[in-house]
Amino acid sequence: MWQKSLSPQNLNDDEKLALKKAPSLRFRFIVSGVIVICVIAGIAINLIFDYSRQLADLSYDRLLRSALLQMDENIALIDNQVSVDIPWSAFATLAQADEDRVFYKVESLEQGFITGYDNLDSQPPKQPVLDQMQFYNQSYSGESVRFAWLERHLTNPESAQTVRIILGQTRLSREKMASSITQRAVEVVVLIALVAIALIMIGSHLVLRPLHRIEWALEERVKGDLTPITINTPKETHHLKVAINHFMARLQKNLEQLENYTADAAHQLRTPLASLKALAENARDNTSPEKQHLALENIVRQCDYLSQTVTLLLNQAVVSHRLQTHRLEPMDLLVPITASCREHAVPALHQGVRLSYECSLQEAWVLGDGFSIQQMMQNLIENAVRYSGHQKQQQTDVIVRVEELSKTYRIQVIDYGDGIAEEEKERVFERFYRARYDIAGSGVGLSMVKDILDHHHAHIEILDTQPKGTTFQVDIDKLSFFRGRI
Amino acid sequence: MKAWLTIIMCFGLSLAWAESPTVWFGKKNASRVLVINSALDLTSFEPILQDFVAQYPDVRVAYRDVNTLELYYLTIEEQSSPVASLAISSAMDLHFKLVNDGYARTYQSSLTDNLPQDFKWRDQLFAFSLEPIVMLVNKDAFPGPLPEDRQSLLQTIRQHGQAMTKRIGTYDIRQSGVGYLLASQDARQADLTWGRLLEAFGSHDVQTYCCTHNIIDDVADGKLVLGYNLLGSYASQRAKDDDRLKMILPKDFTLMLMRAALIPKNAPNPQDAGLFIDFLLSDRAQKMMQEQGLLFPIHPDVKNTDDPFVVSAPGPTGIIELDQQLLVGRDYAKQQRFIRNWEIAFEIQREE
Repeated sequence: MWQKSLSPQNLNDDEKLALKKAPSLRFRFIVSGVIVICVIAGIAINLIFDYSRQLADLSYDRLLRSALLQMDENIALIDNQVSVDIPWSAFATLAQADEDRVFYKVESLEQGFITGYDNLDSQPPKQPVLDQMQFYNQSYSGESVRFAWLERHLTNPESAQTVRIILGQTRLSREKMASSITQRAVEVVVLIALVAIALIMIGSHLVLRPLHRIEWALEERVKGDLTPITINTPKETHHLKVAINHFMARLQKNLEQLENYTADAAHQLRTPLASLKALAENARDNTSPEKQHLALENIVRQCDYLSQTVTLLLNQAVVSHRLQTHRLEPMDLLVPITASCREHAVPALHQGVRLSYECSLQEAWVLGDGFSIQQMMQNLIENAVRYSGHQKQQQTDVIVRVEELSKTYRIQVIDYGDGIAEEEKERVFERFYRARYDIAGSGVGLSMVKDILDHHHAHIEILDTQPKGTTFQVDIDKLSFFRGRI
Repeated sequence: MKAWLTIIMCFGLSLAWAESPTVWFGKKNASRVLVINSALDLTSFEPILQDFVAQYPDVRVAYRDVNTLELYYLTIEEQSSPVASLAISSAMDLHFKLVNDGYARTYQSSLTDNLPQDFKWRDQLFAFSLEPIVMLVNKDAFPGPLPEDRQSLLQTIRQHGQAMTKRIGTYDIRQSGVGYLLASQDARQADLTWGRLLEAFGSHDVQTYCCTHNIIDDVADGKLVLGYNLLGSYASQRAKDDDRLKMILPKDFTLMLMRAALIPKNAPNPQDAGLFIDFLLSDRAQKMMQEQGLLFPIHPDVKNTDDPFVVSAPGPTGIIELDQQLLVGRDYAKQQRFIRNWEIAFEIQREE
């Protein structure tokens, strides 16, 4: 019945140790179930003890009452004296409790002791009421005795007396009856408790079986299989299955991204390396020192470019990692925007581009990741600068503008370059798509922008700048509840 | 009344001690001594005691013959340090009352466990014989046909008043515990007949005795023509050897009486007392009672129907039950009234 989900051979030593230390869900379930059942059974048995005693008393008190009434019937006033003639049948009634001793006393409040046991002085626990029979337990002659007690008036025309009858019977038959009732009832209770415990054990096994099935399904998979689990499981474990499937999907995506990244990196590094090699060969084969010097200059420039590319790749890796691992937090959008503007103002000027920042807001709170936003802005600005400053002799502008709309913040990066053809606008966010190969670029910057924006649930649009050029327009949701909190 | 009974008791006690000294059975150098207080005539009991000490040579038995009523008061008086470890009586009611009032101790063995529930109470009181209560007549001296039952006895008394006067013997119920028990049971079984008998006995000057064997002696001698309510075992024993005597089981109803034993609460030697009870209940002793004509065993061997120690009553039998009803007969008020009525019936006649 007790199925281990995994045979211990499949576990390494650490896992075995952990398994040994780990608390068992099933054990807890069974233990708590058994405790509850034991407590209930204990209460039930306790009640049965009381009840069976009451029941035995009820039955035997009837005998006692009947015997006492028969005695009472044979008490009369004769010549103003109380006379008692105990009928044989009264004690035949008591003899039904065959092993029990009998004690009795009849006395008159006026005349004193009449018959029975002279030293039997028993007072009922309750205030005596005339003509009302009382039953109570009291110790007498070294044994616990059940007494019936009755006081009543005897009257005839000349006189009146109060007569008191006490009739007692030891409790042997009562205890015997009570214990036989109790024994049977306790047997039943214990049986029920055992059945309940067995059901709990079987139930715990059945309840945990779907978990084991999920376990087996995962354990039996071939390496690298991250497809969703398809086995049928009950509602209770459905969420677990879905969670595992989601987790595996994320893992799959991460793996894919890693693969993409590796491919990107290889792609990005191959071209500059090839041109480096060509330049180096050129330098080696050239005999003239001037040409060699020129080739070496080219090699240095190419190295700079390679270094930039590696930085970009690193940033992309960091961004991708952050997007996977960091939660979005409330942040001021203006901080990364101003930072990237500040960073690019001087390099842009070197390329003949005047970068300006237009914003009338003091702060702009959104839910996001600062580093990723900054990377996005850098890419957008670099992109704008690169495409507007290309082969232009006169100075041009790139404007970064932030506006507040009703539900969103709008960021615009405006350049006055050549613009992007309508049919290309759809493709610029594709990986390695480069609109123009005469302009240096990696082809991954905008796809990274798109990734970041998707992650922030933001929207990007490419518009045409008038008279010419391109405007990248990003709409990002405001942090709505944050404002409410202020 | 109570005080009066106590005086009787003290008087009787000293008398008993004077009259019946202790009889010893067994070897003098036996390591253990079992003292038995018993209301059983030694003639019926001696062979059983002899056999017991023969089987258990370590035990020496001291046997003290005590009247049933004396035995009752003696047991109460000696309750804290009794001399005897076993009390045997035919007065079932007094023995029952001793157990009810807490003067006995519990004993249990395989033999007592096998004893039917009707023959024991609380594992403290054990009956070992069941005998009929009979009339014993002197065939030669009895006037008219021998009586079959109480009615025909009454008729004979009426018809032969002169011949019956002073010639019927029965127990003095004030002195004999078993006598009182039998009289009260008679009254219970047939109240009307008892009334008439009492009246007839009183008007014909019935002789009263303390003990069975005195009545039997006088019946045998012809001093009495009839003994009423006698213990069957003694009557049967004597009738067997004496042609003049005839034992009659009344046809209207025959009372059946048990003899019972108990171990007093603080008995000095309860182990051997238990041993003796086991011996009395054993097949060997029960068989001995029947075969040697000593007592009526509880379960007689009924193969031999001519055996005088197998009860073959002509009419119904009324077994005096060993239960709480016995206490009613010994109820203080009832007992007082019963004895007073008995005295009135007898004394009125004496005055005349």
